[in-house]
Amino acid sequence: MDVGLNHFLLVSLLLFIIGLFGVMTRRNLLVILMSVELMLNAVNLSFVTFSQFYSLLSAQVAAFFVMTISAAEAGVGLALIVLISRQWTGTDLSSLEDSPK
Amino acid sequence: MAEPVFVLLSFLVLYGALITVLHRDMVVCALHLAGSMLALAGLFFILGAHFIAGVQVVVYAGAVMVLFVMVVMLFDLKRKNYILFSGGLWPKLASLFFLTGLIAGVFPLSLHLFHPQSAQALKTTSTKELSSLLFTEYVLAFEVLGILLLLIAVGVAVLCRPKREGPADVMNTKKKE
Repeated sequence: MDVGLNHFLLVSLLLFIIGLFGVMTRRNLLVILMSVELMLNAVNLSFVTFSQFYSLLSAQVAAFFVMTISAAEAGVGLALIVLISRQWTGTDLSSLEDSPK
Repeated sequence: MAEPVFVLLSFLVLYGALITVLHRDMVVCALHLAGSMLALAGLFFILGAHFIAGVQVVVYAGAVMVLFVMVVMLFDLKRKNYILFSGGLWPKLASLFFLTGLIAGVFPLSLHLFHPQSAQALKTTSTKELSSLLFTEYVLAFEVLGILLLLIAVGVAVLCRPKREGPADVMNTKKKE
């Protein structure tokens, strides 16, 4: 069996789905942010796969930009989580139902 | 391309992602996420995108994961009895149904849509070509991203700055505890 485009796309799809499952079901803000990172990684994998199999170099530039923006997003998201955990108690989504302390 | 390497790396990627989503302990989640990102860098490497693989290791497995682990260490890790998943049975069932529908729908569709010539496809991308593209055609986006990163740094500093007075003084309430 030769490893082709579709195998990489399947791995990318499964990774995206796992991340989506995490975003939809977990209650911890940090783990939700980690799941978002997983989804961005899955998109990057499909970008690079198409770039290599169709020799489109621009797709790798797009993957590079996605990495930069996701690093920025992680920075802002983690700062917000730290602020939320100071104002409310903990990083659970359920604690946001209470009023801030 | 080596098939066992691909199978091993994709197994590691998916296993790390699953543990990240499913595990109760946040430190374990973060470490498995780092492992998953490293294995994904290996996948980029066997795809031939060496520059992206390097950036993946440096940016994700390095910078972003260090940030995550540092923030995890800020919180109370002894409290383990929080609710792991939200909602009742129906959201989980609905999301599982959605996910299996995605797998069953998208993957056969992609088998029909894409017919790459896999024999001559996987040649290594040279970093020289990529960087020349990055600094000619996409130089505006590149510079805008630089400005975005600067804005992010300033914004995070503004978000986390200590307020001097008032009841919402987060730094002083922390000190009183």
